[in-house]
Parts: sequence; structure tokens; C-alpha cells
Amino acid sequence: MKVQVKNLRKEFGRTLAVDNISFSFDSGHVFGFVGPNGAGKTTTMRIISTIEEPTDGDVLLNGISVCEEPELARRTVGYVPDTLPQHGDITVHEYLDFFARAYGLKGKKRTAAVEAIEEFTNVAGIREKHLKALSKGMKQRVSLGRALVYDPDVLVLDEPAAGLDPRARVELRELLMLLAERKKAILISSHILTELTEICNGVVIIERGKILETGTIDEVLKKSTPRRTVAVRVLDTRNNELIKELLQTPFVENAREVTNEIHFEFAGDEAAASEVLSALVTKKFKIIEFRQTRANLEDIFMNVTKGGVQ
Amino acid sequence: MSIASMKSHLAHWREWELNPIVIKELRQAVRSWAVTGMLLLFLLVLFIASLGFLITNTFDNDANLQLGAGLFTTFLVILTISSVFFIPLYVGIRVAAERQENNPDLLYVSTLSPFRIIFGKFLCGAYMAILFFSACMPFMAFTNLLRGVDLPTVFFILSFLFLVVCAANMVAIFLACLPLSRPFKFLFILYGIGQSITLIVPLMYLSFRMMESGIGAMMARREIWIGVITDVGLILAVIGLFFTLAVALISPQSSNRALPVRLYVTIIWLLGGVASLIWVIQTKNGYLMLSWTYSTFILMMLSLLVVVSNVDRLSLRVRRTIPASAIKRIPAFFFFNGAAGGLLWIAGILTVTYFTARWVIHVYPPTIAVEENRHWFVTTAAYAFDYSLTALFIQRKYLSKRPSKMAGILAVFLAALWAIFPTIVLFFLNQLSWKSVEGLELGNVFNLFVQHDERERRLHQLFALGWLLLAMLINAPWFVRQMKNFRPLARISSEAAPPVLN
Repeated sequence: MKVQVKNLRKEFGRTLAVDNISFSFDSGHVFGFVGPNGAGKTTTMRIISTIEEPTDGDVLLNGISVCEEPELARRTVGYVPDTLPQHGDITVHEYLDFFARAYGLKGKKRTAAVEAIEEFTNVAGIREKHLKALSKGMKQRVSLGRALVYDPDVLVLDEPAAGLDPRARVELRELLMLLAERKKAILISSHILTELTEICNGVVIIERGKILETGTIDEVLKKSTPRRTVAVRVLDTRNNELIKELLQTPFVENAREVTNEIHFEFAGDEAAASEVLSALVTKKFKIIEFRQTRANLEDIFMNVTKGGVQ
Repeated sequence: MSIASMKSHLAHWREWELNPIVIKELRQAVRSWAVTGMLLLFLLVLFIASLGFLITNTFDNDANLQLGAGLFTTFLVILTISSVFFIPLYVGIRVAAERQENNPDLLYVSTLSPFRIIFGKFLCGAYMAILFFSACMPFMAFTNLLRGVDLPTVFFILSFLFLVVCAANMVAIFLACLPLSRPFKFLFILYGIGQSITLIVPLMYLSFRMMESGIGAMMARREIWIGVITDVGLILAVIGLFFTLAVALISPQSSNRALPVRLYVTIIWLLGGVASLIWVIQTKNGYLMLSWTYSTFILMMLSLLVVVSNVDRLSLRVRRTIPASAIKRIPAFFFFNGAAGGLLWIAGILTVTYFTARWVIHVYPPTIAVEENRHWFVTTAAYAFDYSLTALFIQRKYLSKRPSKMAGILAVFLAALWAIFPTIVLFFLNQLSWKSVEGLELGNVFNLFVQHDERERRLHQLFALGWLLLAMLINAPWFVRQMKNFRPLARISSEAAPPVLN
């Protein structure tokens, strides 16, 4: 399954929510969609899920256009919105059964699909409970189950981790990893960027409807911060001497002391870093820690975005 | 549905399943305290009524041969009030509540078509009506044992009432689907309650008349069946109209919402015209053609407000379905989304209606004078187009940043302003006398109906037609642009695809 977002543009009256964006991702991958509030993430996700129609451009789900054949495209995409199911008078099982029916599953096939999804999302034990009585985490699981019940190839999740406790977040992350293993193409938006770094293969950073960065996590990290930061901790107190020594070393810049550690920016590759370490050991510095601290998605997000909305 | 797919559908009848919406709605209805409570109350009232009726009549010394009819009437009042009032209210509130959500639980973006969703809601209402009717049925069957009413009459009246309840349900679903805010929806609920009350009284009267006349005994008469078929046809046409409108309302904005509505209206207009013509030929009375003419006129005036509020820019989805061939594109222009095509569609239907009615009246002179109708039809239609086209021009030219629905609101505002403002000024200028208001006020469509002088009516007609000509001229560039833009869209080439992450 290949998802291609092509020159997508969406206007709401005078507001340009999405401004000519293009990106694509493939099955078996989790793709992060990052941006400040009002950046156009939800609009893009709603277009991919056939809820909204673009003003211009298109989204192809394995070649099926969401503009031309939304009914057909809808069968291949499961959407988990940022709002949770609110029905007071329907049980978890009835809710999932309804959507299985709505997507055309019949007879034993439907029963099996609903039971499998209840097991997978771990809601089998609460299947007879009313939706109203569920916790936020459980509702999120039911919402995910609803999107998965007809086994779509593409999964679009809008802020699925918002408001979940740490355990529910870890469980959700594990579920998403499992889904990626099952060859689903997953697009996920979240403000918890550390989590995205752990589960995503690729990322799109969007602001004011425009893409700022896109690519695999490594590509984006390299592109945004070509220099890595290295932290060195020594047993003795020769920090000033170490800083002087480091500043004379090739590829090293901006060496300084940060809470009993020496931090410096290093433009060289892995082999060059190893040579720096060897040289320091040769010069009798008692090194007990030498680690690279590369900028994470959160740092990149703060660097590339300006916090503006349309 | 093609013939092949229909054959396949019929061949797999074992796999047929109920509409998912019906299952969901009925599951929710079973758990609803509103439905259970109402049903229990309904049964309790029926029981108390029958008990009270029987006890009071037991002390009568004379044998009451109309006891069954009296009791049936009591049950009918209870059933009519509860079903016409409660069921549409329940169905309407449920749909409105679902539509109120921002993500209406994704119900409206599943693979269920808008047709199936509305049909499911409608069926749910019908099942609820069956539930109430079946609860009442044993009581009503019992009245037959007490004499005074025959079973065919009971079934006939109940069938008629059931059809009316279905129509009321459909209207409630349509009102609930209107994209309005919560306060407006609340106002519509109040309006619906008011309409239910006004519907109950004539319905009761009609049912009593049917019972008194013993309709069950007259079923062999041809006239009865002509009347029944006409009434049932009209109720079904109303259900169909509101059904089509509700489907259009919940269809995605990008879809061709106008197509099914305009096609349906055109079909019922044609069928209504043919039926009226047959009726006229049978009775040799051209007057009967007027009911079709009036209903077409009202329907088209309402359509005019909706049509001028249509957006100019067609969605990508609609543009991609515009036929490439010019021969197919011309009729498509009339029926697809868009104000320009809609205006032509309305003008076409009104013109054909007017000349057909004139021709029929000429061939079959009516028993009652209808010459006055000719004046108001042309002049009122011309005024309606005047206001609409003027509003359309103002909206497109000066308020283009505002939503296109402003045009419809503006048209009503212009008509109201022109009707009220000069009237108030004249009232004050003429020493607080309404006498002057009855004089000629060109441009005021309501003034036309108080004019009885032929010369003044003619002046109104000339003014309306002159204004129409001017409105057409100022809108001509916009209209030509709309026609030119009505072309199929080229597809985006797949070569421009962005690189895939893998």
C-alpha cells in the first residue's frame, strides 16, 4: 500500500489551511505528522480519510483517488479522530459490530472480525460495557478497534495519545508497532514527540499549512542538525585542560563545561569521534563516559517551527 | 444498480442483512427510557380508557349498538396523538443529536451511503410506529366484538394513519438534517411540535369521517379507490421529496447534491402533470389542472431560494463527472450543482407548467373562472426571479468573500424590505391610514394580490418583466462564465508523484 499526498491544498473561506503539500509513505511504516496547533495536520488527515475534500491536489491510496472515488478509498483507510466515541446507550461489542456491518462484513466473517479486533485491542473483557462507562484509554482502544475492524491498509491517527496515562501510552505504542509489523501504513500525529521518535520511521513537520521538513527520522535529524553534541565525563578535575585540548582537535567546536561534563559540537563522522576518544585516553585523561547526544525530534521541532498558525 | 448486480443481489438472498442503521437505532431504542416509558404510558392509557368506557356503559340500560365505534374512536385519538407527536419527535431528535457532533461518530464517512443512512433512520421510525400500532391492535380488534365498526374500516384507517406517521417521520428526519446550530434546531423542534398538533386535528376529523361513512363497506366503488390512490400517491411523493432532500443534506459537500433532488422533482412534476391531465380529460374540467400548477409554483419558488444559494465553484469530484461530450453536457448543466444551471432548470419547469396549464384550460374550459390566476403566475414568478437575480448579483459582485448562501437570504431580505418599508412610510405620510397601502406599489410582490384593477395588474407585470430583463443583463457575464467553466477536469498525472518513504 502506497499513500501519496500530491500538491494538497485546502481553503476554508479566506483561511488557507493546507498549502500545496506533498509527501508519501508506504506500508509497514509509521509516519509521524508533527506541527504546532493550527498547522493543518487534522485537515490533511481528514482529507486522507475522505472526510474533507481538498480545494486542489489529491491523495492516492494505492492509486485510488480520494477525490474521484471516495467510497472506494474509504474502504482502505481507517481513521481515529481526536474525539472519542460518546454513545451512552451502546456497548463496546455493539459499537464494533455496527461498524463491521457498516463496512459490509457479513455473517460469520463479521463475528470473527469483531472478536479478533476485541482480542487485539484488549477490549474483550469489557465488550458488554457501555461506552459511556469506559476510561479515556479504553475509549481510545475502542476507537482504534473501530478503525481496524474492516482491516484497512492505511491507518490515520489524530492525536491518539492525548490525555492517556503513561501505561496506556506504552500499550498504544506497542499496538502501533504490531500494526506496522502487519504491513499497515500508519500516519500518526502527536504532540508527544519523544514517543514519535521511538515508533516512527519517517516524519513530516508542518507549519502554517506548509511542509518544513520531511523524510526518515535519521534524514531529518541529519538535515536539521548536521553537528552532533558529544558529552565527556572525566574522573579527575582537569576540565579546563581537557577543553583546551579538545579545541585543538579537528572537527571540534564550542567545547564548554556543563554540570561536571564537557560538551562539544563535533562535525566529524563516527571514525573521527573514535579517534578523538583514543587521543584523549593516550593523553592520560581518565574518561569514564563518552557519549553522543544527538538532537531529538523535539529539538528539531523547536528549531524549525516558529509557532505560527493561520 | 445495474441489472447484473441486481441479479447477483437476488441470487445471494441468503446473505441479505438488515440495514446496520436499523439494528443500531433499534438497539438504542430498546434501551431508551423515552421509548419504553412512552410505550408503557401508552398501554396504561389504553387500558384505563377501555376499562372506564366499559364500566360507564355497563350501567346503561339500553343496548348501545355503537359501543364499538365509540371505543374505537377513543383508541384512535390516543394512538394518533402518541404516534404523530411522539415518534417523529423521537426520530428527529436522535438524528439532530447525531448531526450535531463535529465527527458524527464517522457514521457519515463509513461505506454506508447517505441513501442507506436515511433509509435506515426512516425504517427505524416505521418500526417504532409498527410497535405502537401493534400494541394498540388487540384493543382495536376488541372493538369489533362490541359492534359499530367493521374490521376493514379498522384496517383502512390504521393503514392511512400509519402512512401519515411515516410522512411525519420523514419530515422530522429532514428537519433534523438541516445544518443549523443548536438554538435553531431547538426552534425547529418547537415548530415540529406545533405542526404535529395542527396535523392531529384534521387527521382525526378525516378518520372519523371514514369511520362514520363506513369506508370498509364502500370499497367496491371505483371513486373510493381513485381517491385512495391519489392520496397515497401524494403522501408517497411527499415522503420521497423529503427523503431525497435529507439524503442530499447528509451527502458530502463535494458530491453532486443537486442531481438526485432535481431529478426527483422533475420526475414527480412530470408524473403529477400527466396524472392531472388524465384527471382533466376524464372530468372535462380544466380547473383540476390548477392543483398541479399551484404545487409546482410553490415548489419552484422554494427551489429558487436554494438554487441561488448554490456555490459557483464546483468541487473536484463533481467536475470530474461532467460529461466530455457536449450533447450530454447540456442536460447535465441543468441538473448538476451550481446556481446557473439551477436557474435554467426552474425557469424551464415554470415555463412548461404555465403553457401546459394555459393549453389545457383552453381545450377544457374550467367550470370556475381562472383568468386571474394567469396574471399572478407570470408576475409573481417574474418578481421572484427579480429578487433572486438581484441578490445573486449583489452577493457575487460585492459580497463574494461571504458564503454563497447569503444570496438566498438577501433575496428574502430584499422582498421583505420592499414590501415593508414603503408601506410603513406611506402609513405615516398618510396620517396613519392604511388606505394608501392598497394603492399601486411597483416592486412589492405582495401588493399584486390586493390589486383588482386590470390596468394596475398589467403595470405590475410590465415592471416585473422589465426588472427581470435588467437583472438578466447584469448577470449575463456571470452566467456565461458559469457555462464556460462547466467542463470536465483533467486528471493529475501520476508522474508528479513525490518520492515514497520506505
